[in-house]
Amino acid sequence: MTLFARRSAALGLSPAIVPVSTWLVLGFALGPRVLDVLSSDALAHLDAAVSVALGTLGVFVGLALVPRARNAVPILGAALVESGFAVAIVSAAAAFLLAARHVPLTSPLPLIAISLGAAAGASGAGAFSQGNLLGEDHAMHIADLDDVLPIAVAALAAGFVDQQSGVSWIAAVAEPIAIGAACGTIGLLLFERTTGEAERAVFVLGVLALIGGACAFAGVSPLLGGVSAGLFWRNVPGRADTVILDDLRKFQHPLVVLLVVVAGAQTILDPLPLFLFAIFVVFRLTGKVIGGAAAARMVPTLAGEALGAYLVSPGVMGIAIALNLQQIAPSDGRAVVSAIAFGTLVFEVVSALVVPAEPA
Amino acid sequence: MARAAALLVALVLAWLLGQTAAPEAAFRSTALAIGVALVAAALVGRIAERIGLPRVTGYLVFGLLCGPSIANIITRPMARELQIVNGLAVTLIAFVAGLEMNLRRLAPRLTVIARVGGVTILLTYLMIFVAVWTAWPWLRIAPGFTGIHRLAASALLTALVASFSPTVSIAIVAEARAAGPFTELTLAIVILADLVLILAFTLIMQFVRVTFGTAAHVSLFAGVTWEIFGSFAFGALAGGVLALYLAHIGREVAIVVLGFCVVIAGVAEHFQLEPLMAALAAGLVVENLAPSAGDVVKEGVERSALPVLVVFFAAAGASLQLDALATLGWIALGVAAARTGAIWISARLGRAAAGLSDEVTAMTWMALVSQAGVTLGLTLIVAAEFPGWGTTIETLMLALIALHQLIGPVLYRAALARAGEIGRQAGTPTALMMPQSPSGAAR
Repeated sequence: MTLFARRSAALGLSPAIVPVSTWLVLGFALGPRVLDVLSSDALAHLDAAVSVALGTLGVFVGLALVPRARNAVPILGAALVESGFAVAIVSAAAAFLLAARHVPLTSPLPLIAISLGAAAGASGAGAFSQGNLLGEDHAMHIADLDDVLPIAVAALAAGFVDQQSGVSWIAAVAEPIAIGAACGTIGLLLFERTTGEAERAVFVLGVLALIGGACAFAGVSPLLGGVSAGLFWRNVPGRADTVILDDLRKFQHPLVVLLVVVAGAQTILDPLPLFLFAIFVVFRLTGKVIGGAAAARMVPTLAGEALGAYLVSPGVMGIAIALNLQQIAPSDGRAVVSAIAFGTLVFEVVSALVVPAEPA
Repeated sequence: MARAAALLVALVLAWLLGQTAAPEAAFRSTALAIGVALVAAALVGRIAERIGLPRVTGYLVFGLLCGPSIANIITRPMARELQIVNGLAVTLIAFVAGLEMNLRRLAPRLTVIARVGGVTILLTYLMIFVAVWTAWPWLRIAPGFTGIHRLAASALLTALVASFSPTVSIAIVAEARAAGPFTELTLAIVILADLVLILAFTLIMQFVRVTFGTAAHVSLFAGVTWEIFGSFAFGALAGGVLALYLAHIGREVAIVVLGFCVVIAGVAEHFQLEPLMAALAAGLVVENLAPSAGDVVKEGVERSALPVLVVFFAAAGASLQLDALATLGWIALGVAAARTGAIWISARLGRAAAGLSDEVTAMTWMALVSQAGVTLGLTLIVAAEFPGWGTTIETLMLALIALHQLIGPVLYRAALARAGEIGRQAGTPTALMMPQSPSGAAR
């Protein structure tokens, strides 16, 4: 098994032909701390593109939320249980340790702890799999669906940002869902009525920019907005989901690479990120192993305890959740982005080493 | 009906967000502005095409109606953020223009083009200068200027007023898929006029600086030489590299062309080159040294250019300053009328000088009315360098740009239609143009 012997996840969210870690390192090298090609100004300008990329990533997840297998309900349940363990364990550990150590934060402690937990809940869908795991299709589907809970939890956590001005947690979740539905309606009305490829590209890009842009403008989660739009397109009559999926495939890799490179460029080597990194690595591994074992009981075709190891790579979604946090809480968010970036490097190595055992 | 409903939902969403957002949200408005512009401007562009107007006018009108001057759905910060695509769009448009200029095909007509263009441009400058000089006391810019000061300020205003818009002209040609002798003639004139403008503006600016005692220690000719020849040299080099890439790799052409234009815009800005000329030279090199590569690029551009250009023109519409037009009212209208008259007479004399007498070339003036980004950029330089009377010139020019940007594209497209050159581009539609409806292609 080599580091490059990998295959795409069901969602196709792999960052081209090299692992996430490669793009992270490249981003760090290009960032303000090394070559300064991606200067602070350039990163500020890229913020809009990051919002659009986050919304697009959410659309992918929303489109994946469709009963594709016979065991759809148990698989969704397994995904929720598996990611739920990781989210809960990392969030609780982070909240306890940050409070116990009196770590100075500029944002509310629950926001940082829960966001770190949410980023820990996502999985990279068997980035180093060789296709030898019993029920691997189910495992990949679980890895796709285990992004849903973290996205929802991260969106909910955003409610902590603006407590003083009365933005409730309900609004933090309801607003992106409403924006996603509105943008979904626009897409539904347009995608099937274009006169050619160029015009369709304008509408697809426009709707994606609306999802990411509207959510960013409102200070809510573009990821959840994207999930809402993706779900909308999947469940309404017509071919909107097929159209958007066809077009998304054309620029999914550039968008994913953009997110990962930006995360790499934002990475800082300060005490807070390193502290968060330690929490992330230790408790995420714990959460994934326990969660994987619990989830495997719900889907008989899975190879039991191997599922946790299989889902250990955090992939792009963890980074996306952290970048989303950085948009609403820039200072501490950057520490979380850095922690997740380091953690992703570590987990990619771990997942390459801890290959699920081949069934006898 | 479905399209109208989609437009309504997009606008209501943007309006609602604008009403409820926190003040700091203005800093996060870029993606939203781009999304609204892409969806809504593209839809309005189609409506414009249905009633016989250029799509570009639809994008501009959308920007104007939804921009800060009227409905304020695209707020002033959002309009500012939209201009992030300006550099990319200008280079992309100029690159497309270069791709359309096959020198072998143009060679037999170069003398005629040079004669018509040279006489038209020269006379336009002269006539506008005389008009500005004569009317100076009534223009409310600096009525107290006399002698050399009035001469210098009049010359500067002349350069700005006499300028054309290669960007809008090229966009109209590309959108209409126009091709033919009239298209080539008019495009060549606006591009030639752009070269003359840069040269004239640089020389006049230096004269004005000396006159008003603000001259910096700048080597004038070095600056002009660098801007013109440096831009062409850099563009040619970049075009050569792109041609090599297309010949030997040729993958992901759409993304590579976009990246190529971003690099040209960035490098040109960094080294104070003229991005429009650099991109034009790059297109010329690709088309004339590697014609087969040029065809590949045209296909790539078709896939990647439209979103950028929709946003570009919507942003231009949103930044049109109607308040400037209201401030100067009749003065702006008077200057616009004088300019149009000067262009009309000059173009007729230019045609006569080249021995042309056909009906089609009599419409050359209609291609020269537009004004846009280049003029605006130079105007901002004047306003920054000469606060006071330079700022009044800025207000006047903003009013003129608003007028000419709305009228110019309509006139040019009408001229192309009457010349029978719309929809005559060979091969696949390139760049700005969406696939046209049968009725649109025939117009």
